[in-house]
Amino acid sequence: MKAARVVRTEAEFMLPGDALSELMREVLAKGKPFRFKARGLSMSPFIKDGDVLTVTPLATAPRTGDVAAFLHPATGRLVVHRLVRKRAGRYQFKGDNADEVECGLPIQRILGLVTSIERKGREVSLPPRAGRAVAGLSRTGLLRKAVGAARRAGIRRRGRA
Amino acid sequence: MAQRIDLDAAYGPSEDVVVREVESELIIVPLVAGVGDLEDELYTLNETGRAVWRRLDGLRTVRAIVDELAEEFEAPAGAIEADVLGLLAELERRRIVARKS
Repeated sequence: MKAARVVRTEAEFMLPGDALSELMREVLAKGKPFRFKARGLSMSPFIKDGDVLTVTPLATAPRTGDVAAFLHPATGRLVVHRLVRKRAGRYQFKGDNADEVECGLPIQRILGLVTSIERKGREVSLPPRAGRAVAGLSRTGLLRKAVGAARRAGIRRRGRA
Repeated sequence: MAQRIDLDAAYGPSEDVVVREVESELIIVPLVAGVGDLEDELYTLNETGRAVWRRLDGLRTVRAIVDELAEEFEAPAGAIEADVLGLLAELERRRIVARKS
């Protein structure tokens, strides 16, 4: 019989599929925040691959511009996107760097709000009330174009330097 | 300083912990400082640790758990007792388990 051991481990090597969302749901159901590493590019540039997010249980209904964690109605996967529109009691989300607005969700499917974003050990945040403006740009697709243009301009400037 | 584990007490999962079995691994997330933190605090137990964990129901005493494991693993109770006490002390220090009675 091997000695009983408790092992400290790394989440990203351990958690397959929906385990992350299940753990998040359980922690949030206890009324506690949940901190984890984001994967993917759909919220770039505001959330980048590898950023550490803190998701907090919903205290009130989300507002347009808020970034929330929810389970995608089609895939069941955990998604972190921005609320771009509320209509007839349904919440429509979109990744800032994604093409399509997701179909409207009932509030019950929203797990919590992103209240902190850490990048390389430092907190990053939008100015207060900027989320609503970003939501408008994201919904119309202008955000992607603006970010793309800014990136191209940056590349050209660096090229000339 | 670590608390002494009482052989005649029963222990169970703390209120400040979320535990989930994922593909036969037991994933333990303590709510450290009120946050479920997958970046800094995530634990698993090895097979023997899981055998102990399954019996931490807040009802069975530590002594009863040792006796059950000695029978299941056909190992000397003395060695198992030291092992279980060590594991429980560590889990209690990390606030993953708490004394229930």
